[in-house]
Amino acid sequence: MDSFRNKFIEEAAELIDKLEVSVLELEKSPNDEKLIQQVFRVMHTLKGNSAMFGFDLIDSFTHNLETIYDMIRNGQLEVSKDILNITFSSVDHLKAMLDEQNYEDPDFKTVHDGLMGKINSIINPGNAETVTQKTETTKEKSESLSTYYILFEPNEDIFKNGTNPLYLLDELCSLGDHKVFAHFNRLPGIMEIIPNLCYTYWEVLLATDQDVNAIHDVFIFVETDSKLEIQKLAEENLLADKLFVEEVSQLAEVQKDVGLVTIQRLATKAVARINKEKAKQFTKERIATKDKTAASIRVSSDKLDHLMNLVSELVTTQARLSLFAEQTNVPGLAPIVENVHKLTRQLRDIAFSIVLIPIENLFGRFQRLVRDLSAELHKEVDFIVEGADTELDKTIIENLSDPLMHVIRNSMDHGIEDARVRIANGKPAKGKIHLKAFYSGASVIIQVSDDGAGIDTETIHAKAISKGLVPSDKKMSKKEILDLIFLPGFSTARKVTDVSGRGVGMDVVKKKIADIRGEVEVESEVGKGTTITIKLPLTLSIIDGLLVSIDSSPFVIPLSSIDKIYAVDKESVYNSFNNLVTLDGTQIPFFSLRKEFNLKPSNEELEQVVVVNFEDNRVGLVVDYVIGEYQAVLKPLGKHYKSHDIFSGATILGDGTVALVMDTNKIIKMFATRK
Amino acid sequence: MAKTILIVDDSDSIREVVRFTLENEGYNVLVGVDGKDALKHLDGKTIDLVITDLHMPEMDGIELIKHIRAMPEYERVPILFLTTESQTSKKMEAKDAGATGWIIKPFVPAKLISAINKVIR
Repeated sequence: MDSFRNKFIEEAAELIDKLEVSVLELEKSPNDEKLIQQVFRVMHTLKGNSAMFGFDLIDSFTHNLETIYDMIRNGQLEVSKDILNITFSSVDHLKAMLDEQNYEDPDFKTVHDGLMGKINSIINPGNAETVTQKTETTKEKSESLSTYYILFEPNEDIFKNGTNPLYLLDELCSLGDHKVFAHFNRLPGIMEIIPNLCYTYWEVLLATDQDVNAIHDVFIFVETDSKLEIQKLAEENLLADKLFVEEVSQLAEVQKDVGLVTIQRLATKAVARINKEKAKQFTKERIATKDKTAASIRVSSDKLDHLMNLVSELVTTQARLSLFAEQTNVPGLAPIVENVHKLTRQLRDIAFSIVLIPIENLFGRFQRLVRDLSAELHKEVDFIVEGADTELDKTIIENLSDPLMHVIRNSMDHGIEDARVRIANGKPAKGKIHLKAFYSGASVIIQVSDDGAGIDTETIHAKAISKGLVPSDKKMSKKEILDLIFLPGFSTARKVTDVSGRGVGMDVVKKKIADIRGEVEVESEVGKGTTITIKLPLTLSIIDGLLVSIDSSPFVIPLSSIDKIYAVDKESVYNSFNNLVTLDGTQIPFFSLRKEFNLKPSNEELEQVVVVNFEDNRVGLVVDYVIGEYQAVLKPLGKHYKSHDIFSGATILGDGTVALVMDTNKIIKMFATRK
Repeated sequence: MAKTILIVDDSDSIREVVRFTLENEGYNVLVGVDGKDALKHLDGKTIDLVITDLHMPEMDGIELIKHIRAMPEYERVPILFLTTESQTSKKMEAKDAGATGWIIKPFVPAKLISAINKVIR
C-alpha cells in the first residue's frame, strides 16, 4: 500500500504541476474552451486518484474545485480573476496536501477552510453555508472525529476592540459539525441596556477531526480577556447521536446554561450508546500508513533513451565481435568475447529493468479501486486479472493508469447493472470484470471486459444527434456509433456520480492512449457486456530471439512467444492432412513458412517446427534451420514497409546481413485468414 | 462592495507584500508609512480594517491605535497589528490600547488572510 501511495504522491505532484501550467495559460486566454477542458480533466483525474488512495481531503477539495470548472464548461460561470486566484491558491494548497504531516499544522487548516469557503461561495453564491456543511459532513465520515464542548463568554466590552464574536463562532463552526446555543439570560432590562456591550455568551458542541489547538486558534485574539472553556467530550461524533443533541437542546432552553458537568454526564451516556451500536457493526480497519521517502531517483527519459541506444549499439557491435572471433580463431580471443557477451547481456537486462516494470503494480491498484467502488455503488463484482507479469515501459504504465482507471470505473458504474436487474435478465447477481494483459507480437494488449448491460447503440446515436455531435441524417455502422463515445463532451450517464459520468471518461481515455501511441477499441453487445481493448506498442528495442533460416534467409522469432522446437521428417509436414502435425501426442496446426512465403519445398529430410503460442493455442511454424538464440536489436523497417506488420522490425546480424523479426501473432493471423 | 483596508508600516517591502496579497484577495488597500501619515486617511471615509506595525517613526502603532479608538467614526473598526513572537509585553500594551488582534511576523500570505478573516467578512 505504501508504495502505491508514494506513487500516487509522485503522480499527483505531476498533475498539480500540470494544472498550474494549464491555469497559467488559461489566465492568458480565459475563453479557450480546450484549456478549460484540460484544467477540468486534470482536476478530475486528481480527484479520482486521491479518492482511491484515501486522500479524502484532496478528494473532497478537488471535487469542489472541479465543480467550478464544470460550471464554466457548461457556461454557468465565466473565468474570472477571482476564480483564477482561487485556483492558484488551491494549486499551492494541493501541493501542501500531498504531505500529510502538514495536516497537523493549524495554518494549513485555516488555509483549507478559507479556500473551501471561497470555492463554495463561487459554486453557490447565495448559499455558501449549506454547501460547506455538506462537504464537511461527508468529509468527516471517514476521519476520526472528536466532540468538544466550548463555552465562550466574551468580555462585556469586546466590541470596543473591534471584535465581532459572531465571526469567531462562524470560524469555529467551519471546523466541523456543530450545535450552537446562545444564552441571553445576562441581558438586562431594556432600560438598562448599554448597546455597546456584549451580554450574550455561547455554548457550542463541535464534532471535528481537528485537535484542540485548532479550536484555541479560533479564539487566539480574545483568549486573554474572555472566559473560554474547551473540553473534549468524546472521541466520537456525539452530534450524530440524536438523543444526546435533543437532551442538550432541551436543557439549553430551560436552563441558563447547560454547563460542562451536565454535558459531560450526557456525553458519557451517549458514548456508551454509540459504542454498543458500533460493536454490532462491522468496523473497517484502517490500514496504518507510514510515511516513507521513496527510495528512488528520477531520471529524465532522454537519458534513458540515450542509454538504451548505446546498449543497442553495444549489442550489435558485440555480435560482430563474436563473429569475428569465430572467423579468425585467434587463441585467447574466444574467452574474452564470451565475457563481453555475458556483460552485454547483463547490461542490457539492467537497462531494460530500469524502464520496464510489470503491469502488476498497476493492476494491484485496480483491485483496490474495484473493491472500493463495489462498496460505494453497492454492486458485487468479481475482478479477474490476467497477465499481470506483462512488462511495459514505465512511462507507458504511468500514462496508462488514468485511462485504465476511467475504463474500469465506467465498467463498474455504467456497465455492471444492479444485482436486481441482473437477476431479472437471467445473469448471476455478481458481475464480472476481466482485466487482461498479453503480448501480441510487438504490441501489448490490455483488455477490460465486463458482463454488464452493454452499450445501446440506439441510445448513443440519439444522444449524439441531440448533442449535435453528428448530423441526424447520417447513416452510421454499429462500430461508428460505438466510436462516438470517444467524442469530447459525450456522456451516457443519466446522473453525475462521484466516480464517473461527467463526460470526461472516454475522450480522455482515447487522448491519453493516443499520447503513448496506442489505440483504443470498443466492442459491445447489448445485454452481454462491453470490451474495451487498448493496444500499446511494445517499446522493447532489443529482444531475445531465435535465429532461424528459411531458404538461406535469416529470420528472428521472438523467444518470448516460443514454446518448443521439434524436428519432424519432411513427409509429415508436406503430406499432412488439414495442416495438422502430431507432436508429443497432441495435434498442432502448423504453417510451413516456405510454403506461405511462396518458396520451393526444401530438400532437407528433417524440418524444424517451431511451436509458438498464439492466443490460447499452440501453432507450429516450419522453418529450415534453427541457428540459435540471438539478441536482436529491433530497427524499424522504414516507411515503405510500414504496411507489412507481420514483421515488427529488422535486425542487423554480426556479419551485416539483415534479418526480419516476425510478429508471430500477426503472421499466424494472416496465414489463417488467407485460406 | 470591496472592503477597504488601511496598511500602516514604515517598511516598504512589508507594505508591498501585504498590499499585493490583499489586492489579490480583492480588497481596496490604503497605505500609510507611519502613524501620522496614516491619520490622513482617517478622514471619515469607510475603512473596514487597519493593519499596523508597532515600531514606526513619527507615531508608533500603539499611539495610532489609541488615536483611532478615540475617533467616534472608527472606534469599532478592527485593528490588527504586526508583531514578533518575542514582544509579549508590547502585545498586551497594544491590546489594551484597543487592538483587535495581531499577526506574528514573519508571515506568509495565507496566515495574513486567515487573521483578517477572523475580524472582517
